[in-house]
Amino acid sequence: MLGHDSVESRNAVAPAARSDGAPAEGRARSRLGRPTVSPPTRALVAAPLQLRMLLSPRFRAVRNRVQRLDRKGRWQLGLLGLLGVAFWTAIFIFFYRALNYFLSVPDFGPVLTYKLLGMVFLTFFSILLFSNIITSLSTFFLSAELDRVVAAPLPRSVFFYARLGDTIIESSWMVVAFAVPAFLAYGVAHGAGPVFYLVTILTLPPFLVIPATLGVACTAVLVNVFPARRTRDILVLLSVVAVAVLYMFFRMLQPEQLVNPEAFATFVQFLAAMQTPSSPLLPSTWAAEVLHPVLNGRRGDALFHFALLVSTAAALTVLCEMLLQRTFLPGWSKAQEGRKARFTRQPAWERVLRFITLPFAAQSRLLVIKEVKTFFRDTSQWSQLILLLALVVVYLYNFSVLPLAGGAVVTFYFKNVIAFLNLALAGFVIASVSVRFVLPSISLEGRSFWIAKTAPLPLRRLFWSKFWVGVVPILVLGEILVIATNSYLNVLPAMKWLSSITLGCMTFSIVALGLAVGAAYPKFDADNAAKVAAGVGGLVYMILCMSFIGAVVVLEAWPVYALFMSRLRDTTLTSWAQVSIAASLGSALLLTVGVFVASVRYGIRRLETLEP
Amino acid sequence: MIELIHLTKRYGHTLAVYDLSVSVDAGEVFGFLGPNGAGKTTTIRMMMGLLQPTSGTVRLAGHDLATDAINAKRLCGFVPDRPHVYEKLTGGEFLDFVAGLYDVPATVAAPRRDELLELFDLQDWSAELIESYSHGMKQRLVMAAALIHAPRLLIVDEPMVGLDPRGARLLKRTLRQLAHTGVSVFMSTHSLEVAEETCDRIGIIMQGKLVALGTVEELRRQAGERSNARLEEIFLRLTGGEDVAELLTALRA
Repeated sequence: MLGHDSVESRNAVAPAARSDGAPAEGRARSRLGRPTVSPPTRALVAAPLQLRMLLSPRFRAVRNRVQRLDRKGRWQLGLLGLLGVAFWTAIFIFFYRALNYFLSVPDFGPVLTYKLLGMVFLTFFSILLFSNIITSLSTFFLSAELDRVVAAPLPRSVFFYARLGDTIIESSWMVVAFAVPAFLAYGVAHGAGPVFYLVTILTLPPFLVIPATLGVACTAVLVNVFPARRTRDILVLLSVVAVAVLYMFFRMLQPEQLVNPEAFATFVQFLAAMQTPSSPLLPSTWAAEVLHPVLNGRRGDALFHFALLVSTAAALTVLCEMLLQRTFLPGWSKAQEGRKARFTRQPAWERVLRFITLPFAAQSRLLVIKEVKTFFRDTSQWSQLILLLALVVVYLYNFSVLPLAGGAVVTFYFKNVIAFLNLALAGFVIASVSVRFVLPSISLEGRSFWIAKTAPLPLRRLFWSKFWVGVVPILVLGEILVIATNSYLNVLPAMKWLSSITLGCMTFSIVALGLAVGAAYPKFDADNAAKVAAGVGGLVYMILCMSFIGAVVVLEAWPVYALFMSRLRDTTLTSWAQVSIAASLGSALLLTVGVFVASVRYGIRRLETLEP
Repeated sequence: MIELIHLTKRYGHTLAVYDLSVSVDAGEVFGFLGPNGAGKTTTIRMMMGLLQPTSGTVRLAGHDLATDAINAKRLCGFVPDRPHVYEKLTGGEFLDFVAGLYDVPATVAAPRRDELLELFDLQDWSAELIESYSHGMKQRLVMAAALIHAPRLLIVDEPMVGLDPRGARLLKRTLRQLAHTGVSVFMSTHSLEVAEETCDRIGIIMQGKLVALGTVEELRRQAGERSNARLEEIFLRLTGGEDVAELLTALRA
């Protein structure tokens, strides 16, 4: 434990690690788990062994999960692997094409690729810094297993390095996965030799350690100022805001101009003029400076910058350990503090909630209020609304920059086709929002599901309360998207009505389907909604939604086409056309109602038979 | 009040509970004992509708759980072995929520909530989020929630786990008081001392089968133990205590 220096040499084998079955000494034990090794032997067990033992649960957990996969699990893993390869390939192709494009520009080419490399490193560095702060909050201060590890007679340095290792693995693996195809593309596009790949492999570790140590240090200070749980809330919120702003910023840059040769000249000027990673004090600049000379076979001070990276990483690690020695225990104690309820304490908020839920039966009302309260008290949930807002802004912005120039007929044609396609797009947005908010709502009952199951509560009430909590905001969102875009495009009134009504009906079915699939694939042990959405249930749901939306759009294509052509040619619809339009629209309505009814029935039945 | 009739639960080839028949009268505290994995929690989960029995009937206050679950549950209070509750609600809000689920009018629920919070020593914590409660506090909160609608039956699974001696004593006293008012209590426990002190009758389950049933005195006779034998000895005799004996020897070594 930190702050218990004196015990470290005498108690070299940590109980926490022993329980996992330590390799050498751990095997020699009595049936009750007491190690039979003598004290002098124990004293010889060095810190690296303890470090290995502390890190081993992570790897053992992965190994055990893989070893115990059933047939379904192996399929899922295979599918996930395929998706990973597809994602990886997409990144490689994107970078490879972008780099080739840049390199084809005379004079500017190498400058642009260097700028891009700097931008890549700077982006990685910023992401890593933020992700390390959030991860280290868990690994150092909030993890469930910390009680045992902190209570173990461990040297402070072992605890620090084990947790730092955990933090680096957890926060950096995704960035590394993203970086590999990107750097591979750099190598291939520049025709680099094996030295480039070797240097890249050597550069990454110190580059990952620097933001990790900075992140841990930052967390240690923050936790001593605020309680850890509060800090995490603030950071989650900040990260969501940062992502939302970045997303909007990136969209407003109009990256589509990259593929527009006419706009390219100005983009080159823009990129070249950007004062990106030129600060010589940033580790991302050093990393770029290590790779750049190797890449182009040009002169440069790669070794100096590599030394800078390594020495900074080492120095920061030592400084961070010193800081943690002083600040860990007070911070950890603070992390145990509880929190008072927020939001719903205000009588006004509570009154509004009670008023809104007046039309519901007493039990349903209680459930709806509970859903809303728990949603707004969970930062990882409500902060997603900020991302949603960014999504809406970008969605509407996309329509404002659509190139709709052309003759009157062309414009009229384009606008109505786009409005129709917008129906599918808006449906997709609704499904994406539902997969994150509606699908997990059954799973989020979690281990508390016994409360509803053992109460005299018809479970259809639980289903309907979750349905209304989901459908109302999503319906508002969907209608805003279609009404605003249709108004902007100034499409036919019939088209406006058709879009609004279709999307409204689809929303009911999509939300009900979300609950049904959520009940079919419950994950009561998931601690947050994102994990549920990312599971098999999420995949199944998205496939079902896409099929449903696609079918509705196909069924409505003929009525829209017939109406549109009659308007364009200024003719009246024949009686056959009218009948076929009614039949198509009727089929779409029937399908929507069918999906809704089937989802509700299945969802309620499933809830009734679920065994938590 | 509580009737389990030929209750059986099978998981694939594993028989978790087999042909279990027990009845508990009004005002009786029934202790359900057995070693780990004997089928206690499975039985209780079937009694509360959390698991579907493979065969057999659960009747609570005359209502068949399979056909009249809502009315059966309305009269029942349940305390699970692990106190998982909605962490983002406050203790007070949770009790109000449960009262609402059981259709307790707000005018009755509010004073009862305050009374139970005080009884279980949680009044100072009622406005705190449950996520900040200790295990023992959550256990007491769940106990309070099980009583908020004044149930006629109380089903309790391992209630002493995580409770401090004060909390345990409070719970034992509460269970006895409830029995005095006519409430039937069905309690599974590992604590033989608690069972001996609190229960009117005891059932011992082994590998899914009921191996003994009766008062402590009747069990003593069934086990062929001397008249002053403690429940621990009777339990070990009836359940075969080789593994326990080995554990005790190893611990003493």
